[in-house]
Amino acid sequence: MTRHDDGVTLPAAPSAGRIEIDGLAKRFGPLSVFEDINLTIGEREIVSIVGPSGCGKTTMLRCIDGLVKPDGGEVRIDGQRVTTPPRGVAVVFQHFGLFPWKTVFENVAYGLRLSGVPKKQIEASVLRHIELVGLAGFEKAYPYQLSGGMQQRTGLARALATEPQVLLMDEPFASIDAQTREILQFELLRIWESRPTSMVFVTHSIEEAVLMGDRVVVLRGRPSSIHEVIETGLPRPRTREVLSSPRFNEVREHVWSTLMQEAEQAERELQESR
Amino acid sequence: MSAVPQSAPLVRPFVLNPGVRKLAIRIGTGILLLALWEGLVTWLAPSYVARPSGVARVLPRVVSSAEFRSDAKVTVVSVFEGLGIGVVLGVVVGLTMGRLRDVDALLRFYVSSFFAMPLIALVPVMTLWFGYTGTVRLVIVSFGAFLPVCLNVYDGTRKLPAQYVEVADSYHARWWNVWFGIALPASLPYLLAGFRLAAGRALVAAVIAEYLVSLKGLGYFILYDSRTFHQNEAAVAVIALALLGVAINSAAGFATRRLLPWYRPS
Ligand SMILES: Nc1ncnc2c1ncn2[C@@H]1O[C@H](COP(=O)(O)OP(=O)(O)OP(=O)(O)O)[C@@H](O)[C@H]1O
Ligand SMILES: [Mg+2]
Repeated sequence: MTRHDDGVTLPAAPSAGRIEIDGLAKRFGPLSVFEDINLTIGEREIVSIVGPSGCGKTTMLRCIDGLVKPDGGEVRIDGQRVTTPPRGVAVVFQHFGLFPWKTVFENVAYGLRLSGVPKKQIEASVLRHIELVGLAGFEKAYPYQLSGGMQQRTGLARALATEPQVLLMDEPFASIDAQTREILQFELLRIWESRPTSMVFVTHSIEEAVLMGDRVVVLRGRPSSIHEVIETGLPRPRTREVLSSPRFNEVREHVWSTLMQEAEQAERELQESR
Repeated sequence: MSAVPQSAPLVRPFVLNPGVRKLAIRIGTGILLLALWEGLVTWLAPSYVARPSGVARVLPRVVSSAEFRSDAKVTVVSVFEGLGIGVVLGVVVGLTMGRLRDVDALLRFYVSSFFAMPLIALVPVMTLWFGYTGTVRLVIVSFGAFLPVCLNVYDGTRKLPAQYVEVADSYHARWWNVWFGIALPASLPYLLAGFRLAAGRALVAAVIAEYLVSLKGLGYFILYDSRTFHQNEAAVAVIALALLGVAINSAAGFATRRLLPWYRPS
């Protein structure tokens, strides 16, 4: 593992594609959620996905993790077609997905226990990851005793403990208050710098998408499809200064106007149909 | 420091603390009820009818008699055996019904119907199958305990949030991991509520089976002593059954606090 604490490294080059999404389509009965999604995500790349509510972001992550079967196209991870949840992929859920009857320790240990990792190793790894997300001292707490931010730190630790090569983040900070969210964003970036993985980061927040991503994918339309892929071109490691850089503002404005166009168009259509 | 003026502490010398107060009220009510019982029976009833002073008089003798002890043991053992069998079967069948749609379609109607029906009606039929033996009692107690546990665990499993299963799936859980690692712990509050119902039903079933099948046990002890005008002795056994019920319920309450430190009924 390499740390890039010192100086600025270049944006991770989308080297070999770790995740390949090829002509992906999904429908629920008569509802076509998305169509013809093509996207390749590199080994050390963060790709943000933004789009209006209900456009199928969660469904797409489920397809990537093999939790849902697509109706067209396929997802390949390291060249292997995904049909069931693959090893080396971990999800952080919008709803945290913590088990209320398990303590922080047991929740973080969940993935390792299921993989049959030896007990000693589990304990060491769990404690290390609890520490990594800043929850040391809360090992024995139950989820109801934690704030939303701390619950999602637990969710993050559970995912990281399995040492995944691919992290799928589904609006992980959406239900967390603004200040805590900003803290968590930078902590996630710090952790990612210490062990870069492929990451798909789904979010509602345009700022968050630009801050996290090497590229931002904008979904639009019904059924939705990829409207635009924007290279953020921001340096890593990303610090708070990024937020006030001209490039950050430029990309944010661009994504914003792209999404607004659709919102306005949808409103116009709604008016015409009346 | 805040400048909020502090009022003088209230002095209320005659108010007990709430716990002591509650206990005092409870004991007071008990004494009042016993006095009422004693008074009414002395005033209105023939001398063989049970009354508190009579029960107190026979209590040491009855409790130390070998007959009472062995009868109590038989009933207590069969209630615990029946509860054990009923709870284990109830958990397994309830989980299966909750997780498998086909099994749900197959069984739920019948389980609910039996739950609604007075099980005691089955005792005479069972004596035909098992004879006038303790097996009848064990079967009826087990069945009586099985039904509420089964239906409650089923309910809990059906209400299992889909997000838990999704998390489990994403970490490669196999079906048994989902059943026993997710669905069962998530249904524990339901299971414990079902257990309280089951304990009540098991006690009733045991006593009635003893009445109807003339089986050795506390129920039959009550029946026999009542009919031979030993009502004070019978009352001792009634009190013993009441205490057993209270004890099982307290144990369930204790288990709830121990097993479900995470549970917040909302
Ligand atoms: N299991 C399902 N069965 C039927 N329809 C579904 C199912 N899951 C999702 N949908 C529908 O598919 C569409 C996309 O849902 P999805 O949850 O993927 O959207 P999203 O982009 O994640 O939305 P949000 O931003 O609100 O989380 C929605 O219209 C939703 O109602
Ligand atoms: Mg979603």
